[in-house]
Amino acid sequence: MATGSNEPKNRYLRYLEVVTGSLEEKKRWWQYKARVKQLPENYRTAAEALERYLMHFGPADGAGAMAMYEDLADLLERSAADGTPIRDLFGDDPIEFVEAFMANYPLGQYRARERNRFTSAVARAAGDDTPPQDRTK
Amino acid sequence: MGKQATEMLKGTLEGIVLAILSSRPAYGYEITAWLRGQGFSDIAEGTIYALLVRVEQRGLVDVEKVPSEKGPPRKVYSLNTQGREYLEEFWRTWSFLAERLEQLREGGK
Repeated sequence: MATGSNEPKNRYLRYLEVVTGSLEEKKRWWQYKARVKQLPENYRTAAEALERYLMHFGPADGAGAMAMYEDLADLLERSAADGTPIRDLFGDDPIEFVEAFMANYPLGQYRARERNRFTSAVARAAGDDTPPQDRTK
Repeated sequence: MGKQATEMLKGTLEGIVLAILSSRPAYGYEITAWLRGQGFSDIAEGTIYALLVRVEQRGLVDVEKVPSEKGPPRKVYSLNTQGREYLEEFWRTWSFLAERLEQLREGGK
């Protein structure tokens, strides 16, 4: 993927993006992965565990997801440089941290779908005639 | 810090962080250190970071990247005009809440 982002994309690349998703995002993803690889072992272990959690419950792709992983790499690199202990970084309840962090980015597909479904079901049950506003964005 | 204090702190943490930034710009670690010094010992640095990302996204703070001797540049946060307005609103809400709770304690007058 040696194409500079300013050059017009050739037909093959455009075709590829339709098939596999944005190449720009892929580039950002691999850059994030390379940054994690450079972290000291315990921070890397934490990063991989976080990544797993975010993959399940957070946004899976799109620019919002990439911004999330980049912000995560910023935090971990800074903490590793400062020597912040892992426990000080994540606290006694790491779930509280990861949920607060994830809330800053677009909802994951699964959560978005179920939230919409639940909101609509309540609206029907309440007998609302106006469709509920989409609050998942 | 007890469980109750931690829970109560959650809803006010954003206001607290903006109030800290209203006196001077700071980076994440300084904010956490200040909070710990004040007895809020349970606060995770990651949680403060998540909050700083949020106030940045909402345009309440300005961010400047300052080179660091070791590691990546530090993000230094400062409160901007919109952030100051938001903080004023926070204090008004806080006063309202504190007043009502005090009334409740005195016997619901």
